[in-house]
Amino acid sequence: MTATLKTVFSNFRYVVLAVVIFISMLFGLLLLSEYVFLEPYVVSHIPDGTEFGFLLIVILSILSSLVIPMNVYRISILKSSKKKMSGGIFGSFIGAAAGACSCGPVGFAIISTFGTVGATASSFVTNFEIPIRIAAIGLLVIVYYTTVRSLKIECRVNHKV
Amino acid sequence: MDKRILFGGIAILVLIGLVAIFSTSNVGDRDLSANRMHGSISTTMGSSILGNPDAPITIIEFGDYQCHQCYNWFHNTKPAIFQNYVDTGKANFIFVDLAFLGSDSPKAAQASYCAEDQGKYWEYHDVLYVSQESQIDNGWASSERLKAFAFNLGLDMDLFNECLDSEKYSKRVQYNISEAKKHEVNGTPGFFIIGPDGQEQQIKGAQPYSVFKQIMDSMI
Repeated sequence: MTATLKTVFSNFRYVVLAVVIFISMLFGLLLLSEYVFLEPYVVSHIPDGTEFGFLLIVILSILSSLVIPMNVYRISILKSSKKKMSGGIFGSFIGAAAGACSCGPVGFAIISTFGTVGATASSFVTNFEIPIRIAAIGLLVIVYYTTVRSLKIECRVNHKV
Repeated sequence: MDKRILFGGIAILVLIGLVAIFSTSNVGDRDLSANRMHGSISTTMGSSILGNPDAPITIIEFGDYQCHQCYNWFHNTKPAIFQNYVDTGKANFIFVDLAFLGSDSPKAAQASYCAEDQGKYWEYHDVLYVSQESQIDNGWASSERLKAFAFNLGLDMDLFNECLDSEKYSKRVQYNISEAKKHEVNGTPGFFIIGPDGQEQQIKGAQPYSVFKQIMDSMI
């Protein structure tokens, strides 16, 4: 597993990609979930009782920053299929969406635009925010292991060829 | 004959005008003509003022009783603000409804005004934020539960039930929602800090105490 990670991240471009994904995802999710505020001052805090939600955001961002560059590597270097890549992006997306709808501006815009349907959808995503994030993490873990396994096999085959 | 038609027409128009004025100026049993303004914000239909009415600073919160960020603010930030600013007479506090999250939200807001009829608005407000459950519209703020909260506070249940069932304060809550939208409050909780000279500072979201402190200290 370490060897596979070394193979991918020995290329500096993939390290940069991972850092960019991690920072943008972490910052975006912390902003949406109101752990970070930009106005009127830049400030961050973790209110009591929301520590677990914060931890899930960090895990989600780390996994996304590993899985997506590894799959980009598979596709661009090894010319593999894009199936696992879409799994990684889907996992990241649903993890992000779980925190987006709520009492904040995104939820307000959805409810204002779509009325009752928007309110129902927003309520669902808000009510199941933690389970959805855990499911997204589960999906990313599966994609991570299958990607590592397939990278091992594909790299070996490519080496032989 | 023409004169009769003319006078009749005028009388009907005057009557329609009076009905229109009456129906728009009375929201629940509050009179809009007695407009209470803080900065550019009309708080007439919001809560009563909590704290010193002559305090140099007014904190206006736009909130929803089902909003979990409002819950976080209520439990994590509000106590320090009250201890250092409201209880010391430096600031007062007004709550205005932006009840948008679910079908139980407007009902909960209406119930708070039914409690106000019996002088227990703030007690009821606190009960709602203490009793809030993490899921929206899961029944924690259903009519039955809202009545149970009122019962536990010792309110006259005949009066409370009649008030809630008749949706006496439906228009009042709607007015508050439109006031929030007019001031571009696009999420809850949303705050306005109104300074002694009428200057306004908006705070979006359940921000920590340090932000409120910094703004209020700069205004005093």
